[in-house]
Amino acid sequence: MGVSPPLERGLTPLLSQGGRRKSPAAPWSFIVGYVSAQTRTARGWPWYARWHTVLRFEASLSAAIGLAAGLGWAAGGGYFWPGWVWLGLAIPLGLQAAVRWGLRAPKGQRFLAMHASLSFALGVMLLLIWLLGGARYFWPVWPIASLAIVLGVHHWFVRNRPNAREQALADRVGVLTRTRRGALDVQAAELQRIERDLHDGAQARLVSVAMSLGLAESLLETKPDLIPGLLTEARSTAVAALDDLRTVMQGIQPPVLADRGLEGAIRALALDIAVQVTVTGGLPGRAPLPVESAAYFTAAECLANVMKHSNATSAWVNLRYEAGALSVVVGDNGVGGADVDGGTGLRGVARRLESFDGTMTVSSPAGGPTTVTMEVPCELSSPKT
Amino acid sequence: MRVVIAEDLALLRDGLSRLLRAHDFDVVAEVADPVALAAVLARQPVDVAIVDVRMPPTFTNEGLVAAIEARARRPGMPVMVLSQYVEQLYARELMLSGSEGIGYLLKDRVADVQTFVDAVRRVAAGGTVLDPKVVAALLARPERREPLGRLTPREREVLGLMAEGRSNAAIAGKLFVTDKAIDKHIANIFMKLDLPMDHDDNRRVLAVLRFLQDSAPTAP
Repeated sequence: MGVSPPLERGLTPLLSQGGRRKSPAAPWSFIVGYVSAQTRTARGWPWYARWHTVLRFEASLSAAIGLAAGLGWAAGGGYFWPGWVWLGLAIPLGLQAAVRWGLRAPKGQRFLAMHASLSFALGVMLLLIWLLGGARYFWPVWPIASLAIVLGVHHWFVRNRPNAREQALADRVGVLTRTRRGALDVQAAELQRIERDLHDGAQARLVSVAMSLGLAESLLETKPDLIPGLLTEARSTAVAALDDLRTVMQGIQPPVLADRGLEGAIRALALDIAVQVTVTGGLPGRAPLPVESAAYFTAAECLANVMKHSNATSAWVNLRYEAGALSVVVGDNGVGGADVDGGTGLRGVARRLESFDGTMTVSSPAGGPTTVTMEVPCELSSPKT
Repeated sequence: MRVVIAEDLALLRDGLSRLLRAHDFDVVAEVADPVALAAVLARQPVDVAIVDVRMPPTFTNEGLVAAIEARARRPGMPVMVLSQYVEQLYARELMLSGSEGIGYLLKDRVADVQTFVDAVRRVAAGGTVLDPKVVAALLARPERREPLGRLTPREREVLGLMAEGRSNAAIAGKLFVTDKAIDKHIANIFMKLDLPMDHDDNRRVLAVLRFLQDSAPTAP
């Protein structure tokens, strides 16, 4: 029908008496006209949209009673008492019209609009009462002034409240502050771990190599028969240092990730795991390196959990890029019961993902199967060739 | 024996060159990138190329790609690929170019000079040498991989040493048993894995590797 919801029409008919519909004559015509404009079916609209049917009935009834009172007075004459009847009838209708007008305001300003319209309706009523009461001492000035003051305070308060956009920004800043702190914590912990690994591993071994070689050098003249043993020792210690360095490097950034991107790195990872891992899907390009790295370590943690806890005989990884987000899903056919809060591993990677606005959801009912879904919004670089 | 070395780090390139010359190899060229390697290979015949995985221009896996390309141009061209880290994935890709005359080792292995020099000679002769780390990954968790679970731990040990490209005598020496005992283990391994027995060391290793690749968890 192409009819806008009644609330969008709002109070306009009430004020402008639009010529689009036939309206009964004054004095109630504006209300009846307004209400008749609202008689369309309102299924699916909010509860207050269905209200017009009731209002229409109310208005008709009021018009009838008001007309009867007017006729009664015309017949009998004397003090113009129907004014009071009309006032009594107008109060509920006026209040309801005010509420409807208030509800028509956009979200966020609705409370203030309601307040304003009700204050206006009350003010008009007070004036009417004053008029009907003989228009002597202008007492309504006091209640109207206090209504105006309260409204003014409300208005001031609303104007100075952060609006919705600012509120959203403030919330965003809150999230960013939290995730940045998380990212820095993760980073600091990583650096500390790397420092410790290097110190206890490669560095200590290289010290030992230097000592062996120095000793060999010093024994060159006096005890040359000890030298071959020292050289062998130095060599094997140097190789062990290389092994340590490789492990540390693998933890910082797996070389295969730089070589082959996320998809290749996950395929390589799948090969190193003794459970049957099927890798499906793919990515049309490469994600930014930090995102790739976070996604890789998350997948690695999930697959490590599959090995450690799930008793699974097979697992799968699905990679996708959809609607501006990289999605990695890891599943297994194991016993389930995985819990993000249960161990530090999953929680750690979840925090890492958070700093990219990424999310991780774990579905792992007791008895399995377990599915971990990661999603990170990002842009992919040029499609792979 | 004519060798070409492709390695971008001068320190390691010189070290390798010095080490090989000291063991009577004829180092005909030392290059620092895959383009120069291809040029050398096109210009003169070499018996084996020693190639680093990470080289310019992108410093990712150019060496691996170069090795596979060289073998596409000259099938069976012996290549020893060296790397700071090993990946099963790369081992498989190398083996796809044919598994004869392929070596894939961690650079660390160079420190054990005698073993390294032997490995280079074996690859030049058409043999296969895989890094023990790759082999260990292939043999990992045998209880979860049906056919491997049939082997005894000793047989798995022998299988691993075979996959690294060692001869029967070398395996026997390493495990402090007689050649005859090794023969028996190997016969058992082939029987349990339903592979045809072969007396040629190299073809035997290849059979085992192919078997392991097929039975390992795969990524379709």
